[in-house]
Amino acid sequence: MGLIQRTIEEAGIPTLSISLNRTVTEKVKPPRALLVGYPLGHPLGRPYDKKTQTSLLKEGLTLLRDIRVPGTLVDVSDRYRF
Amino acid sequence: MLKPAKDKLLASIFTNSPGLVNLWAKKADIVTNTSTPWATAASDILQGPVALVTTAGVHLIGQPPFDMDDPEGDASFREMPSSTPAGALTITHNYYAHRDADSDINVVFPVERLKDLEAEGFIGRIARRHFSFMGHILGSRLERLVGETAPAVAAELKRDRVRAVVLTPS
Repeated sequence: MGLIQRTIEEAGIPTLSISLNRTVTEKVKPPRALLVGYPLGHPLGRPYDKKTQTSLLKEGLTLLRDIRVPGTLVDVSDRYRF
Repeated sequence: MLKPAKDKLLASIFTNSPGLVNLWAKKADIVTNTSTPWATAASDILQGPVALVTTAGVHLIGQPPFDMDDPEGDASFREMPSSTPAGALTITHNYYAHRDADSDINVVFPVERLKDLEAEGFIGRIARRHFSFMGHILGSRLERLVGETAPAVAAELKRDRVRAVVLTPS
């Protein structure tokens, strides 16, 4: 996913990825990422948990707009329970 | 054991063991970059258009599924109109357990949450199309991804004048 993200960013469009694994993300070095620490297959958390899904997406979009340092990885602000 | 069955079994083990994923990530031959590309975000980018790109193997029910038999994966992509109802989407991907995402696609591809954010005015406008890949791409397929299909999606996003992209993994 990071390679695709980097390609889109190189084309001039700001990008942010939601990431499940810090080790992979640190190697790939995307421009911006929100680290959520959920299991594979669950980047937005549990099914039908609209509240968490919405919060995560809002946080990601806000970071996408506001991050000013290339390569910034942010741990999700709230430890949403899984 | 047949390849699809073996892949699904491994996916289930990895999905339930974040520690195992971390161990794999430390040892795996992942492309390691020393710098990052950068496009400065204007303060009004959330006015949109905003697009989603996922590697979770999502596609329209009527589109050809991703190729699960090629051990190097499938570097092709699918485009989906952003107006597509969630019920018209499906997932073809044997390398992660997607039972939860099958029941609620927003778990990997938050299309309905993005619509909610547009409705409440948190973002201005959703892009005309979203895009999907399948993760788990290796070898010559990785070359095709980097050289051909990822740049093609970037070009389509530019064509739609997309100003902000959120990517979600599997």
